Amino acid sequence: MIRQNTVVRKSCLLIFALFLLAPFSFVSAQIIETEGKIVVSPVKQRIRVKQKSKGVSDDSDQPAEKLIVVDAKVKLQLCVSTGKLKVSGWERNEIRAFVGGGSRVGFKVLQKSEQNGMPVWVEVLGFDPTKNNGNSADECLSGDEIELDVPRGATVNVKGGESETTIDSVRKTTVEIEGGDIFLNNITHGIYAKTFEGGVTVENSSGAITLVSTTGNIVAVAVGASEIGDVFKAKTNSGAIALQKIGHRQIEAGSNSGSIRFTGGFQSGGQYNLGTQNGSILLSIPEKSSFKLNASYGFGVFNPEIPLQNLVKTPTPKAQNLSAQMGSGDATLNLKTVSGAIRIRKQ
Amino acid sequence: MTEKCFDIGTIQAFLDGELASDLSEKVACHTAACDVCAIMLAEAEEETAFSFSALENEFDTFVPTNRLWAKINDSIEGNKKTFWQTIFARFSNPSVAAFAGLVIVVGLFAVMLSVKTDDDKKIFIAESVPNKQAAISTIFQGNLSESALPVKPEITDAGSVKISSPDNDKSKFKIVKADFSEKESNRRPIKVQKPNIITELNSQPAADAENENLLGEDSYVKTIATLEKTVDSRKDEVLKPAARFAFERDLAVTDDAIRKMKAEVKKNPKNEAAKDVLRASYQNKIELLNSVAEKSDLMASLK
Repeated sequence: MIRQNTVVRKSCLLIFALFLLAPFSFVSAQIIETEGKIVVSPVKQRIRVKQKSKGVSDDSDQPAEKLIVVDAKVKLQLCVSTGKLKVSGWERNEIRAFVGGGSRVGFKVLQKSEQNGMPVWVEVLGFDPTKNNGNSADECLSGDEIELDVPRGATVNVKGGESETTIDSVRKTTVEIEGGDIFLNNITHGIYAKTFEGGVTVENSSGAITLVSTTGNIVAVAVGASEIGDVFKAKTNSGAIALQKIGHRQIEAGSNSGSIRFTGGFQSGGQYNLGTQNGSILLSIPEKSSFKLNASYGFGVFNPEIPLQNLVKTPTPKAQNLSAQMGSGDATLNLKTVSGAIRIRKQ
Repeated sequence: MTEKCFDIGTIQAFLDGELASDLSEKVACHTAACDVCAIMLAEAEEETAFSFSALENEFDTFVPTNRLWAKINDSIEGNKKTFWQTIFARFSNPSVAAFAGLVIVVGLFAVMLSVKTDDDKKIFIAESVPNKQAAISTIFQGNLSESALPVKPEITDAGSVKISSPDNDKSKFKIVKADFSEKESNRRPIKVQKPNIITELNSQPAADAENENLLGEDSYVKTIATLEKTVDSRKDEVLKPAARFAFERDLAVTDDAIRKMKAEVKKNPKNEAAKDVLRASYQNKIELLNSVAEKSDLMASLK
């Protein structure tokens, strides 16, 4: 009887002790779980992201390089998910593609020339189509460094995610990327460049040019038309636009909250439409320019530092129209701003 | 320490002034007589002074002790009453109850009167001599088409002409005018009830409509409304925080420009510069909203 009582008492004590210890064990389990998450999760995430970006990821540590002989006026298209892309024109009728620290590379010939049988339309892929049928592979290139050498007469079309893109010495190019800066140089027959988060810089190029950015700046230096009727357009929402030595006869530039700076002379018979919402318009022009000016400004100011003839201004205190002339009035200049200033000064 | 001696906690509470007045008095009397407690009190005082000087900065902010919080919470719990208890307690006062009753009666009268006034606005009764023809012309936003008439003239059995609005949307019509051509001479003057109210009600929307149609901006507004619907559903996933910030800022800038220019056009409808800038602002807003839609399309094409 006494022994039974002792056993019952001991078991009660044991259960009581277990109850007391239960919260501590729960807390320690939580700590271990949390520690595990902190240490392990970034590593897991990094591995997952790397696998996703590789596309075909068999031996990505080794750089991938491929070469294909093409027509001199080949059209080239490619997609870049991440990485720094550099496309350069060279004298050979070949395309060389190099990807360092990322995806594989391969070519897909979409069309061949009827005259010489050479590829005239080629797509650069993030995998090798001769080894992989592409079912599970990412078509977009990705890597730390992506380089392409293409014939100078090539047309290059790039679509991409976050990618800094540089294109040099090709015939024509179209670039549309989600983010990253675009640098274009020596493009001879036209540009369409659009980035949603980044700037666009164009130098020494010609043809019809359209530059679009959402949050970045646009800079164009020494550009001109390659054919009659080529238009230059620049549009940004939050950035500034700087134009220097523009040879086009039709120019349209607009910014929402950024300013526009135009430096250089006007072409005879040219039409220049510059407009901002909340930024100023600054023109630095030669002393002997010839243009007709039409300006509309809501709550801004008009401040010419050069003498203008036939200045006519509406008498309204707000939202004014203004027309004036300088020289014989060869070019037409339309300026529009809501709350920015318009300034014209000598170059 | 004797049985009557106080523990260190009570002495500390005594020093902190947290004891009840009777207990505090007891402690004071006891420490005056008891050497042990007096020493304990002195030591506690020294410790308190030392700790207060060391933690002077921390004690500058007033943080009540746990005991104080407990007291405060207890007193709140004691005073807590339900909502209905509070209401009934208020109405236990006879003067308050009488005043509330008066307010209810006046309120009911006001509601009845307003309902009656609304009915009067809807219906005009123009008394007329029987067998007389009534030519009623109405003007509805400049149109005289019968299908667009917001009012329906009816000749009642009593010989009166009753003009009633078919729907309750008073803003749709501008002026209601009733002309009577009579063949006989014994006519009575037309009696129209409260025509001034109708004129006042309708003059403002008519002016607004005139201003809105000045620029033909309906198409802009419709396009923007459609784009806004699309963008609102997508912008969270499409735009990163920095881009989202820039987008919202640009949108605010554009909206502000539109608002200012609209006001200017309203003030001076002949200001062509204001109209130009307003159109440009609308175009900017469309392009801004389009940029989000285009980015969304690009992202979708890359997936």
